[in-house]
Amino acid sequence: MTIFLQQVFNGLTLGSIYGLVALGLTLVYGILHIPNFAHGALYMVGAFISYFFMVDIGAHYWVAMAGAAVVVAVLGVVCERLVFHPLRNAPPIHDKIAAIGILLFLEALVHMVWGSDFRRMASPFGGVVNLDGVFLREQGILIIASTVVLVVALNLFLRKTMVGATIIAMAQNREGAFLVGIDANRVAMMTFAISGALAAIAATLYAPLNLVYPAMGHLVIMKAFVIIILGGMGSIPGAIVGGMIIGFAEAFGGYYISTAYKDVIAFALLVVILSIRPQGLFAKGAH
Amino acid sequence: MKTAKKLGLAVAVATLGMGMSAASMAEEVNIGFSGPLSGGAALYGENVLSGLRMAAEEINANGGFDINGEMHTVNVVALDDQYSPAQAATNAKRLIQESEAPAIFIPHSGGIFALMDFNVEDDFLIMAYTSVPTITAQGNPLTLRIPPTFDGYVKAFTDYAIEEYGTKLAMGGATHEYAKIWGSMIEKAWEAKGGEVVAKNPMDYNKSADFFTGVSKLLAEDPDVMFVGGASEPTGLVIQQARQLGYEGAFIMMDQAKIDEAAVAAGGLEPLENTVGVVPLSTDESEAAQSFIKRYEEKYGKTPGSEAAYNYLAMHALVEAMDMTDSTDPKTIRAAMNDAIAQMDSSKNPYAVEEIDEAGGFVTMPTMSVVKDGKIMEVTF
Repeated sequence: MTIFLQQVFNGLTLGSIYGLVALGLTLVYGILHIPNFAHGALYMVGAFISYFFMVDIGAHYWVAMAGAAVVVAVLGVVCERLVFHPLRNAPPIHDKIAAIGILLFLEALVHMVWGSDFRRMASPFGGVVNLDGVFLREQGILIIASTVVLVVALNLFLRKTMVGATIIAMAQNREGAFLVGIDANRVAMMTFAISGALAAIAATLYAPLNLVYPAMGHLVIMKAFVIIILGGMGSIPGAIVGGMIIGFAEAFGGYYISTAYKDVIAFALLVVILSIRPQGLFAKGAH
Repeated sequence: MKTAKKLGLAVAVATLGMGMSAASMAEEVNIGFSGPLSGGAALYGENVLSGLRMAAEEINANGGFDINGEMHTVNVVALDDQYSPAQAATNAKRLIQESEAPAIFIPHSGGIFALMDFNVEDDFLIMAYTSVPTITAQGNPLTLRIPPTFDGYVKAFTDYAIEEYGTKLAMGGATHEYAKIWGSMIEKAWEAKGGEVVAKNPMDYNKSADFFTGVSKLLAEDPDVMFVGGASEPTGLVIQQARQLGYEGAFIMMDQAKIDEAAVAAGGLEPLENTVGVVPLSTDESEAAQSFIKRYEEKYGKTPGSEAAYNYLAMHALVEAMDMTDSTDPKTIRAAMNDAIAQMDSSKNPYAVEEIDEAGGFVTMPTMSVVKDGKIMEVTF
């Protein structure tokens, strides 16, 4: 039983991080129809900015997280203004190429500024709670709690505020949204800002369990794409549920079968789910 | 559009200019390097390259070296292969055709095996930085292996750990080729010594977001010793997470990981208590090693690891051999390498390599160290 509960906790921790990263990706895709391959790079930049605030400036963990969220949100908006906005009438392939360009640019930039060293970013929550043989890392508990809070907050923002409603409107029907006078530019910038902030927060939450280095985004971005396909492109509950499915598949598959097969299990699940629901778990219809 | 064209032209002219200037400087010998310079293993490739560059700069600062009365300088031409054997082979072809490099440094076994297919035919020397024993067992006349082979470590680590810590071993190494060979040799040695392998759960050190699950599977079998190892930093994480899960036993660390570097990732030496591994360069007390560390720190502002030191000394030995024979012919250089090593100034030889064996391996004493009471202690065997 302790082993089972241990894997539940591991799965929840991993699933929360995957879910948060996938959430930002799915927002941008659902609302602007851009497959943002650079999202993993934004995640990585978020971790480096937090590291910079914490280690070089000496800011507190929470301050560093807020700082990174703001910086990466601005970076997301800059990407939208400079790259994706001018491409809004171009064929969809141009968005994809541009996103890969941003990915390469950001990685090279971080590599140039910080070098390729692995850096350790210790959070104030480094302890381990031993619950009768189940080891809960404080940082893991923090990750799960933060994810719940962020998802609830995001939902409230989208459902209960006027600004959020404009974003939902854009996602549901672009032309309709224009007709009632919704400012597409504002929505686009807002979406990128939220997506960037989520990536930075996810990175700051996760970095203390892992290390900070320029290639760290690769670990999560492939999985995030799998998750949003699994959950349904553009679906918010899909991103969270998809993240949990992959997280649990890794934890349980890794324990009860073999760590070597954990990706096989996750991708086999993807194939099974897509063959039953080709549009993904939560998508209303294929785009 | 016009600006784009102009820009393209400018780039073309600049590239042409660079090509011409390289060709017009005849007094320069190019030495090739192919290794990971981007992606997850970039740090490793950069560390190797830093040692090579440092040696080249020292040689050039002394006016270069002499070939038939003319002074030549060394130029390191580095290409990125992202750890891919296929890309390494392409890079090698470029390095011999465009830069006419007589020798190519390469720090990964996959790429080395790829290059060994055509290096004799294309006439260039492979400076192999890997401790896989089969590299020099193939009888390739133009391949030199720089570090010691790992079979010496396997025996020493196993003997020590089984006597000091207990007989139950859990296998938690990485999944790349090198780690697999190491792991299977450890398993064999362990069982030959009368020990028992209680759990096997290799983990992909480079692609895993978390090791908690993998490590908890190993700990469920209650081992005395755990085999770990991949790159230093993820190895440190595996050790840290094992401790967080309440593991109190010992570790055998594969030679790819270094105790001091893993400690940085694990947050200090404390989690690494009772870890058996190779002696990190930083704790090597010899004068040659200390002098190298000091010069490296001045130049790069960080502590060097063994990959920088080994490649640094190999570069010096290579140039010494060219200087001695007045030649850049790979076969002539290879034949003179043993004498070059013997003649080399000790400051250029931080690992005190004394000779090169018949098969082309640099002969270095294998070393072992153990973390005890929060300190790295060298153990003789």
